[in-house]
Amino acid sequence: MKLGELASIMRSKNAGPFMLSIDIIFNSWEIYERVKKSGLITKDGVAKIYGVSESAVHGVFFIDQGYGIKVSLIKKIPSGAIECTDTFGAQHHIPLRDLEIP
Amino acid sequence: MELRVLAFLADGRIPSASTEDALKRAVDWGLDIIVAQGTGMDPGPHWLGSGQPYNLEAFKANITPYLKISQDQEIPFVFSVGTAGTDTQVEASLQKINEICKEEGLKFRIATISGQIDKKYLKSKIENGTKIKRIINTSWLKEYLTVIDVDEASNIVGQMGPEPIMKALEQKVDGVITGRALDSGLFMAAPLSRGIHVSVAAHAAKVLECAGFAATPGTPAEALYGVIRNDHFIVKPPNPTMKCTIASVLGHSMYERRDPFREENPGGYLDLSKVEFEQLDDVTVKAYGAQWVSTAYSVKIEGAKKVGYRTLFISGIREESLISQIDDYLATISRQMKETPPFATLDHESDYQITFRVYGKNGVLGELEPIQTTKSHELGLIVDVVAKTQELADSIGGYFWSRILVSPFKGRKTTAGNVAVPFSPPIVSAGEVYSFNVWHLLPLDDPLEPFRIRISDFPA
Repeated sequence: MKLGELASIMRSKNAGPFMLSIDIIFNSWEIYERVKKSGLITKDGVAKIYGVSESAVHGVFFIDQGYGIKVSLIKKIPSGAIECTDTFGAQHHIPLRDLEIP
Repeated sequence: MELRVLAFLADGRIPSASTEDALKRAVDWGLDIIVAQGTGMDPGPHWLGSGQPYNLEAFKANITPYLKISQDQEIPFVFSVGTAGTDTQVEASLQKINEICKEEGLKFRIATISGQIDKKYLKSKIENGTKIKRIINTSWLKEYLTVIDVDEASNIVGQMGPEPIMKALEQKVDGVITGRALDSGLFMAAPLSRGIHVSVAAHAAKVLECAGFAATPGTPAEALYGVIRNDHFIVKPPNPTMKCTIASVLGHSMYERRDPFREENPGGYLDLSKVEFEQLDDVTVKAYGAQWVSTAYSVKIEGAKKVGYRTLFISGIREESLISQIDDYLATISRQMKETPPFATLDHESDYQITFRVYGKNGVLGELEPIQTTKSHELGLIVDVVAKTQELADSIGGYFWSRILVSPFKGRKTTAGNVAVPFSPPIVSAGEVYSFNVWHLLPLDDPLEPFRIRISDFPA
């Protein structure tokens, strides 16, 4: 199933103009654990999906307490740059949404 | 030792029908202080770059009920104001506060703390060898702030920590108004002044600073009530249709942060890895377990510079035969523009920049768009021109309007007009464009040094 279908909340927002933060929250431990154990959400994997270097991925955080995963990465185009398409970073969860989870 | 706090957002949110009622409940529960953040860089660099006030009438409506409670119940307040929190924006906000006082018969002694960083001060720090490092490792920022960066920025502000606010609260004032400030710092000041440990004060501040967003249904337009004690804090919403749950509080802690376990502050960071929550009743959550780790003291400074003037040509495309070749069509017209006087002599990187935003295709995600073939029957096209003068931006925008409307393309039958233009005039002059050029850490020996405090009576 796609990550976006498994998540109860999947959102992106800027953490400051230079960093994008994507939250994926599940409504059960079972689903959260399945995604966590798939090993598919990694710095390297995220870097490839977003077209940045691995060093630009600030972190992939697993929040057991909240059945959630947070991904933070340095944006190619900061908020407010002339060619920016998404000032709030609110629609940039999409590239990660279609990740297929077994 | 406990401190009872009412948190709301002072960024121009109009009170709803439920606001008055929620305020009454919070007052009944008992209140020691009312705190609100009203600054932020989420909406981009425009307000920092321009220093223009935003939504002043909405700001007036937003804070009036809270100022009335403050006066009526003698509860002090701490608000950051002004969108980007520059001095011009703070002054405009203070004028609104003055109006409220006159209209509602209120009297306050207010400490105002500027959040704007003086350029001479900053340049002399740099010249004396202070290393002001960028917060994020991105090529969009100089690794260390330079004198040129400071000169180019139209405004530079700093996220003051709790210390200047604590100093102001000591001065027998009814309230504190700040410009740009660390959101958490606004909420940390009073508990720290009362001797509550920084671990608890900083964690409570983090949960309270987006007000009702930490509740469910979550909205920052509603207030949040908190009681901060020596070794824990509790939160609950004063609006009876909302509640705080462990999930809602956790969900907010994750929001908009780059790291859910570590929160950077001036002078230290908060380690959230051992935080515990308890659901005390249907609407109340208790939290404890955050740990403060001290580090060198520095504040985030933010600045924006002008990069040009923008003109937009907006049109809709419904003719499928153009939709299927839109990229080539726009590339052809761009190439022709570069060969056409007077544009032929211009430098297409430093004199102007053109961005095509093709909605219905990849206007939102650009090269990240996974869908490669556009099946839309309609496209929204924005030709976005940013140029060194408004006249040049208008002139280039005008060129694209005239060419896009009538240029030939393969298989064209629409020889009377290729796009639907919604407005007259077809191009929109959109004014100055700014870009963040300062996002750095200013080390400070004295947390108060750059932030000037003055005290005055309202109404003036």
